[in-house]
Amino acid sequence: MAANFWTSSHYKQLLDPEDVDVVHQMDKDRGITLEDFKLIKLHMANYIARLAQHVKVRQRVVATAITYMRRVYVRRSMTDCDPRLVAPTCLYLASKAEESTVQARLLVFYIKKLYSDEKFRYEIKEILEMEMKVLEALNYYLVVFHPYRALSQLLQDAGMNDATQLTWGLVNDTYKMDLILIHPPHLIALACIYIASAQMDKENTAWFEELRVDMNVVCHLISRPKQFTAFLDY
Amino acid sequence: MGDGRSSNSSSNSNNKPEWLEQYDVIGKIGEGTYGLVFLTKVKSNRAKSIAIKKFKQSKDGDGVSPTAIREIMLLREIVHENVVKLANVHINHADMSLYLAFDYAEHDLYEIIRHHRDKVNQSINQYTIKSLLWQLLNGLNYLHSNWIVHRDLKPSNILVMGEGEEQGVVKIADFGLARIYQAPLKPLSENGVVVTIWYRAPELLLGAKHYTSAVDMWAVGCIFAELLTLKPLFQGQEVKGTPNPFQLDQLDKIFKVLGHPTPEKWPTLAYLPHWQSDLQHIQGHKYENPGLYSVVHLSPKNPAYDLLSKMLEYDPRKRITAAQALDHEYFRMEPLPGRNTLVSPQPGEKVVNYPIRPVDTSTDIEGTISLQPSQPVWSPNSKFVE
Repeated sequence: MAANFWTSSHYKQLLDPEDVDVVHQMDKDRGITLEDFKLIKLHMANYIARLAQHVKVRQRVVATAITYMRRVYVRRSMTDCDPRLVAPTCLYLASKAEESTVQARLLVFYIKKLYSDEKFRYEIKEILEMEMKVLEALNYYLVVFHPYRALSQLLQDAGMNDATQLTWGLVNDTYKMDLILIHPPHLIALACIYIASAQMDKENTAWFEELRVDMNVVCHLISRPKQFTAFLDY
Repeated sequence: MGDGRSSNSSSNSNNKPEWLEQYDVIGKIGEGTYGLVFLTKVKSNRAKSIAIKKFKQSKDGDGVSPTAIREIMLLREIVHENVVKLANVHINHADMSLYLAFDYAEHDLYEIIRHHRDKVNQSINQYTIKSLLWQLLNGLNYLHSNWIVHRDLKPSNILVMGEGEEQGVVKIADFGLARIYQAPLKPLSENGVVVTIWYRAPELLLGAKHYTSAVDMWAVGCIFAELLTLKPLFQGQEVKGTPNPFQLDQLDKIFKVLGHPTPEKWPTLAYLPHWQSDLQHIQGHKYENPGLYSVVHLSPKNPAYDLLSKMLEYDPRKRITAAQALDHEYFRMEPLPGRNTLVSPQPGEKVVNYPIRPVDTSTDIEGTISLQPSQPVWSPNSKFVE
C-alpha cells in the first residue's frame, strides 16, 4: 500500500542480489561486464543527482529517480534503453510521482549546459517517449520507500541526533549501489547508523540488540566494505 | 500488468494497436477534462466488461499528465473490495497515448439518485442507503488508514457494480486528485482547489492550508443527505475562473442549513484566511434556526440524523472519521447493511431496476488512436487544432 511498506509493491518486489547483478545478454554481447554494468549505473545515479541540483528538487525525488533507473535495468538492457536518456527521464518521471513536476524542456536545457558531449544530448520528444518505456519497464509500480523517513526516528531513538548529517550523507551514498532494490529501507537506515556509530566511536551495541532486527542482515549489508567504500569514494 | 513488448503498436491488418485486440469496444461512456472512457468486452470472456479510460495527450510537450501518474501510482498499490480495480495499463507508443483499464461498474450514485428523483419519483429504500453508505465508508476507511485522501468524492465517483458476482458492491473511483498525505513534499493546498463545490468542506472554502481526510468525510455527509432526499444538500453557485477558494454562495448555502460556525465551537476558525478577510460577507446573513433535520426529514433522535450531523461537523478535528462512522449505532440497527446494496435480503422488498449506462456507439476508440507518430507542431501538413 501507499503508506505501509510491508503491504506495498516495493516490499513485494524486493529482489535477491543475484537477480540484480545480471548483465543483459545484449549488453554482454557488446562486451559489458558486471563491473561495467555496476559502474554505469553508479555514473547514472551521479548524473541524476547532478541534474537534480540544477532543477532544484528535493533529495527524495533524486532517490526515487535513481531507484526507477536501477529497476529499469533489472528488466531492460542498456542497448535497448540508453542510460544517458533513461537517467534524465527517470528524474522527470520521479518529479511527477513525488509532486514536484519539472518541465522536460528545463531538463533538456540543463543537460545541454552540463554536457558538451553530443551523446548526452536528447530532445524533449525523446524524453517523453522514454517516459512511457520507463513506465512500462517499471510495470507501473511507482511508489518507492526510502530510508530517510526511518532515519530520523531511529536516530532519535538511539540518542544520536548529532549524527543526522553524517548518516543522511551515508544514506545518499547507498544509492550508488542497488541496495534499495534488495533491502527494506529501514535496514539500510540502520546499516548507515551502524557505520556512523563506528566512525564516531559511539558505543551503542545495546541499542542495536534491543531493536531485535536481524543484525546478520545489517552486517551483511555492510560486510562488503571493499565494495561499499570503493563506491563511496566516487 | 501491462503487456510489455506487445504494446509497441505494430499495426496489423485491422489497423489496431495490438493490445486493443483483446477487447471488443462497445462505445463511449464518459468524457471529462482528463479524457474519454470507453466500454469494452473482453474477447476471451464476453461476460467480463472493462472500462478503458483514455488520457488526453499532453499538448505542450509535458508527457504523461501528472494526474495520470498519480492515479496509476495509487491504484497500483490499492487492493480493496470497495475501491475500483485497475485491471491493466496500456500504452500506445506511436501517438504516446495512455489507457487505464478498470473492471466495469454499471451504475453510480449520480445515476441511481437521478433515477429515483426523475423516473420512479420515490425515495431510495433504507436498506440500500445504509448499505451504500457503509461500503463507501469501508472503502474510505481503507484509504484513510493508508494515508490516502480522495479529495473529489461526489455521487458520480461512487460506482456500484451491475449484474454478476459482485452485484451491488460499491467501488470508489477516480483517483486523479487523490494524494498520499503522510509526508507530502509540498503542502497539499498547493495543488490547487479541489473537490466539486457542492461537496467541498467548509475549511477548504475558507482557505485552509492544512487539510486532512476530514474533507472526504464532509463529502460523505453531503452524499448521505443526497441519498436521503434525492437533492444535493448544499447547491451553491460556483464562481468560476478564480484561483481563490472562497465561494461565498456555497458557504451561504451551508450556513443556511447548519447555522454560522463560531470560534467557540471551531477554535481554529479564526486562523482560516477567508474567515478573517471576508468576515463581513460571511456574516452578511443571519440564520437563526439551523434545521438540518427538517431538510433531510429526520427526527433529531434518529441515529441516521446523529451520524449525518457528525459528518457535517464544522470543526474538521471534531468531524467523525470513517472508522468511527462504521462503528455508529445506525449500522447496528435493522435493516443491517449488506453486500448487495441493490437487492435487500428481506423478502417482499421491491427491487428497483436501474437503467444501464448509456453508450455512445458512434464514437469508436480506434478513431481516437493514431498509429502514426504524432506530427511535429511545425509540420506544414498538420492541421490547426485549437
